[in-house]
Amino acid sequence: MSNTPAAAPTSSSKSKAAGSSQAPEKRKPLFQKELQHMMYGFGDEQNPLPETVALVEDIVVEYVTDLTHKAQEIGTKRGRLLVDDFLYLIRKDLPKLNRCRELLAMQEELKQARKAFDVDEEKITSLD
Amino acid sequence: MEVDLTLIPTVEANDGEKKVAKMHSIISQFTEEQMSRYECFRRSTLHKSNMKKLLESITGIKNMNNDDPRLSVVSGIAKMFVGELVETARLVMVKRNETGHIRPCHIRESYRRLKLQGKVPQRTAPRFFR
Repeated sequence: MSNTPAAAPTSSSKSKAAGSSQAPEKRKPLFQKELQHMMYGFGDEQNPLPETVALVEDIVVEYVTDLTHKAQEIGTKRGRLLVDDFLYLIRKDLPKLNRCRELLAMQEELKQARKAFDVDEEKITSLD
Repeated sequence: MEVDLTLIPTVEANDGEKKVAKMHSIISQFTEEQMSRYECFRRSTLHKSNMKKLLESITGIKNMNNDDPRLSVVSGIAKMFVGELVETARLVMVKRNETGHIRPCHIRESYRRLKLQGKVPQRTAPRFFR
């Protein structure tokens, strides 16, 4: 998990542009409580050890960061960062890919349901 | 394990209804502990607001929309990655004949294994000695 600033000049300059702190190792814990529940759900004890949760959070943040950097590299060739860039990166990992498709389909359904709800509301108010 | 999976008939992958029925038959046999664990597994998520902050700071995209599909996709991927980490850590513990809480050494070993399996995105670094 060593940092390679020479190999990733674009990513380090982007993080500087976003104004990140000078000590990247000292991050405020973002996901502690949710991670505790998640780890229990996946097989850990009821109250996971705090050092384990902290380590998992660091690993997950690094994972998301690397994944997003790679997706951005792909996305900049097209212009914007799209969902498909992430999907391309996990194309070999079938469980993740299927899960993402499920999530996107659910989101679409919710959007359609909300749209239908708004249209009905408009009809009711226009009848008055 | 209290639930005997050999007693449950196998079902084809394409049959949606039968899959749901099979899940029901498994879940109905859960013990209390298994039920609470399963509940945590289904319900737990990484908060959207935190993920949004993280993604915005990484990508430099400002004012990301709250129902951005990118947010849900990354949260889903991250949750499954946590699952892989924890499950692999449990395998490591079984191999070492240890029980109880998962310790950081197990997570580190599990992370190393996932890297070897190629499930962790690698920063391409120039490799001088092959």
